[in-house]
Amino acid sequence: MSNEKIQFDVVVVGAGLAGSTAAAIAARHGLDVAIIERGRSPGGKNFFGGALYTHSLEEIYPDLWDRKPPLERPVTETGFWFLSKDGMVKATVQGGRINNEPIDAYVALRAKFDSWWAEQAEEEGAFIIPKTLVTDFIYEEGQVVGVTTDRPQGDIYAPVIIICEGVNNILTQKLGLIDHDIQPTKAALAVKQLISLSPKTINARLGLPSRKHGMAISVVGDVSMGMPGLGFLYTADKAVSLGVGVTLHALQETQIKPYELLQRYLEHPAIAPIIEGGQLMEYGAHLIPEGGWKEMPKLFTGGAMVAGDAASMVNALHWEGTNMAIVAGKQAGLTAIEAHQKGDFSAQTLSSYQDGLQERFVMKDLRQYRRMSKFLANHPEFMEIYPTFLNDAMGNFFTSFGKPKRQLYKEIWRSLTSRRSLLKVIGDMVSFGRAVIGI
Amino acid sequence: MDKKNKVNREDLPEVYIDDILMSLKYYTDEHEFHLEIIDPKVCQQCVDKPCIDFCPVGCYRAQDGDTVQIAVQSCIECGTCRILCPYFNISWKYPRGGFGVNYKFG
Repeated sequence: MSNEKIQFDVVVVGAGLAGSTAAAIAARHGLDVAIIERGRSPGGKNFFGGALYTHSLEEIYPDLWDRKPPLERPVTETGFWFLSKDGMVKATVQGGRINNEPIDAYVALRAKFDSWWAEQAEEEGAFIIPKTLVTDFIYEEGQVVGVTTDRPQGDIYAPVIIICEGVNNILTQKLGLIDHDIQPTKAALAVKQLISLSPKTINARLGLPSRKHGMAISVVGDVSMGMPGLGFLYTADKAVSLGVGVTLHALQETQIKPYELLQRYLEHPAIAPIIEGGQLMEYGAHLIPEGGWKEMPKLFTGGAMVAGDAASMVNALHWEGTNMAIVAGKQAGLTAIEAHQKGDFSAQTLSSYQDGLQERFVMKDLRQYRRMSKFLANHPEFMEIYPTFLNDAMGNFFTSFGKPKRQLYKEIWRSLTSRRSLLKVIGDMVSFGRAVIGI
Repeated sequence: MDKKNKVNREDLPEVYIDDILMSLKYYTDEHEFHLEIIDPKVCQQCVDKPCIDFCPVGCYRAQDGDTVQIAVQSCIECGTCRILCPYFNISWKYPRGGFGVNYKFG
């Protein structure tokens, strides 16, 4: 074996959601596919909030539910919690279209889920090579034809390489698909604790009717101490995930310790009672690429394509990324099949990967939201002033204290205008609208 | 441009990160360090030493006042230090295949 060239039809780098999807699609078509994973097994390096979107999972496996995916609770209540220093306004939605089958999102734990997702790719015929780090590319006549790994005699050849290496896109940079490393304003560091609680306790404290109900909450305001960032809460079956993410630039400017910021969130008077008596099951941290459209690398070159976090496929406002990774992985897998049918692996053939994505929500949304990360970085008032104002306004409106109502409205008005001038408020709303609509 | 005052640090609780790291499973590479300080003199001259704060697992610790030591075995491979070291003085690689953090839940 030592002198024989190890050759596959397709090599996928990384057994995350994008990678295992790309591999499954290509293997299903009969191609010889290897997935190279640096972890001990798929999932071991993967980490998120978080919830997965059913539409993307079912797009790959229409018989998803027969396969018994290791998902946690369905998301039956979702929305925002606006934190002030010592209070909170909740704006969540439940029932209605949130409760229609199939439920749109499920809470998941990535180490468990990704390991299962990779098994599905294996069943389609993909071959997983774990405990192996891809270190570089092998070129012939200017075209990528394989990868080098950290194993002895570990060169692996394939005419198509699909790079799904994750947010630290070192290989994507090496390949020249992007000319710079991640910028501090274009990525957030999220830290999270998974805290175990009995299902009964979770249900009672969060007002969930049963274990078949769950929450996905974005937490805005005091949680990020005025920095551009958000907190979150997700309900697993027997645990809750609580975390907070802020931009690397904010960490740089404030020099706070991320785990202290998280602890402060966990001790907030509105949060602490939810997790009281719970045990820490796992802590972790992960970067989120939030540069979106503007930080996207070139998605293909001769012999290679890039998908998922490595390609900056994250919608920071809507917390979408896993669904984009899965759809992009599928599109890359389909393009690999097309290239094999043509027997041509040039950039021109692989460009149909990007053309395909342009027709999907992936590129449409990323383009529409291309100004969002800059907007959020430049408008800290959305993290600080407005959530506090909302708490003040609601607190005032729903209390009496024997005050005439005219005075009440004056106080509410003043609690806004003392923090931000009316002109600026209008400006903020207009620029938020522009960032969302993408004009 | 001292923005450190933007956040009231007194508002932050003290956390013993080592206690929290007990919840993580690692496979430590005894033979190769995947993180290294390129030039220790640069760290000595770095006044703020922000790595001590921004690392989410507290890998970076001040030693004898002005040098910085890395507790590589705690690293969770997030990449923050590669991006935020003001002097790009950290040689950042992934651990060899099979080594490093191994999330049970993720």
